Amino acid sequence: MSLRDRVTPEEWQTRVDLAACYRLLDFYDMSDLTGTHVGARVPGEPDAFLLNPHGMFFHEITASSLVKVNFDGDVLTEDSEYGVNAAGFTIHSAVLGGRDDVACSLHTHTRAGMAVSAMDCGLLPLSQHSMLFYDAISYHDYEGVATNLDECQRLQRDLGEANMALILKNHGLLTCGRNIQEAFWMMFRLEKSCQAQVDAMSTGAELIHVSKDVGNFTRDQMKSRGTAFGDMGWPGHLRRLDRLDASYAH
Amino acid sequence: MSALAAIDVRPEDIPTMREKVSPEEWETRVNLAACYRLVDYYGMSDLAGTHISARVPGEDDNFLINPYGLFFDEITASSLIKIDMDGNILSDTEYRINAAGYTIHSAVHGARHDVQCVLHTHTRAGMAVSALKCGLMPMSQHSARFIGNTGYHDYEGVATNLDERERLVADLGPTNTAMVLHNHGLMTCGYNIPHAFWLIHKLEKACQAQIDGMAAGTKVIEIDQSVQDSTAVHFKKGGTAGADRNWPGHLRELDRLDTSYKH
Repeated sequence: MSLRDRVTPEEWQTRVDLAACYRLLDFYDMSDLTGTHVGARVPGEPDAFLLNPHGMFFHEITASSLVKVNFDGDVLTEDSEYGVNAAGFTIHSAVLGGRDDVACSLHTHTRAGMAVSAMDCGLLPLSQHSMLFYDAISYHDYEGVATNLDECQRLQRDLGEANMALILKNHGLLTCGRNIQEAFWMMFRLEKSCQAQVDAMSTGAELIHVSKDVGNFTRDQMKSRGTAFGDMGWPGHLRRLDRLDASYAH
Repeated sequence: MSALAAIDVRPEDIPTMREKVSPEEWETRVNLAACYRLVDYYGMSDLAGTHISARVPGEDDNFLINPYGLFFDEITASSLIKIDMDGNILSDTEYRINAAGYTIHSAVHGARHDVQCVLHTHTRAGMAVSALKCGLMPMSQHSARFIGNTGYHDYEGVATNLDERERLVADLGPTNTAMVLHNHGLMTCGYNIPHAFWLIHKLEKACQAQIDGMAAGTKVIEIDQSVQDSTAVHFKKGGTAGADRNWPGHLRELDRLDTSYKH
């Protein structure tokens, strides 16, 4: 019996969307072999979330291969030969465990994201894309590979109660979503913000910073749409994956 | 909120408009769909976040724009949405249009009747140059085309406030064919669709070279004013000829990849 028949329709849908999210990160050049992870809460199971099987590359991940774990780190998926990444468990259990409003937590190690994560100035208000994060992004100091579960409380403290994005200093980026679609959308925008910032700053020329008023106004414009931007784009993303390789939905 | 509800109509399931529109409108639709595909193929798309519009031949007050939610590599001639200057949707479609796209494109089409196609991007290099006080620098042959022929517009937030149109028009001016949208991206205005694409291809490369040239941290050579001036005259005289010459090659390029843009 395939996994599809053994889980709830809601869990299956989450698995398909989460597998799609992994494939999309790879398609848009935001993967790093097996080095990062995306976690998604299992609908109806407050104590469980899904993570990637450690060892599969992002373009290989399928709905059925995702591993269900609880917040104690126990693997709940029977007969999975894979485990989960220990640092991934720390980071995503911290975010999903600390924020009931977050259903998906997404982490990358991209060139531009790592570069901005090493800048004392953090993310600058230089682009429309970055307005989504205007005065709405958090920072977490680097402590080493996140296998020490004590770091969970500092991750939760640094992310805070409302922000949906976190820069992991000297490490990479993290976005949150009220659904998987929103987490992907936030990351797509954050990645582009970082790319534009790195390029603009590399010139050494004087930069135009968006004013505080316009920054606050634009962030609120964007936030007022809830998850709509992520939801609106999702069918197109799935059509794209379906054209390339529909095996994510397996 | 409803304007952003997820819509999932596959472009191949949209009935053909070919028999329902004039041959001139159909040709414009095919070329505009091709332009969307090319912007994607050349790495200048941003999901559904930007837009390209073209005036409908013989209908000066109507223009075609993308169905919001289709990505650029999915757009077809029949899926493009016709709207008027007031933003009324004249096509029979389940898709909506992007509100900021309407603001930006209706501003240019309403004020500049020499412009047939308006093309807007959010590229890495374009966004980066848009955040520089110095603007586009006369650092490359590609940039020489734009020096003295490019407007600059300050960022005001997502362009859903229709009052912004006056300022967009004033900043673009009566003859410029490109504009840097500060802290946002790039825009080109073509005398036809091939021209708008040709201009964005040049402007994008000019921005890429500027970023890399300036990033080196070494002294930059700026093109002499007299050479800038003579180059500008040279390019002006060329009009749309270079763009028109390349367009069949672009269509052959697309035809080898995926001919569905013509649907």
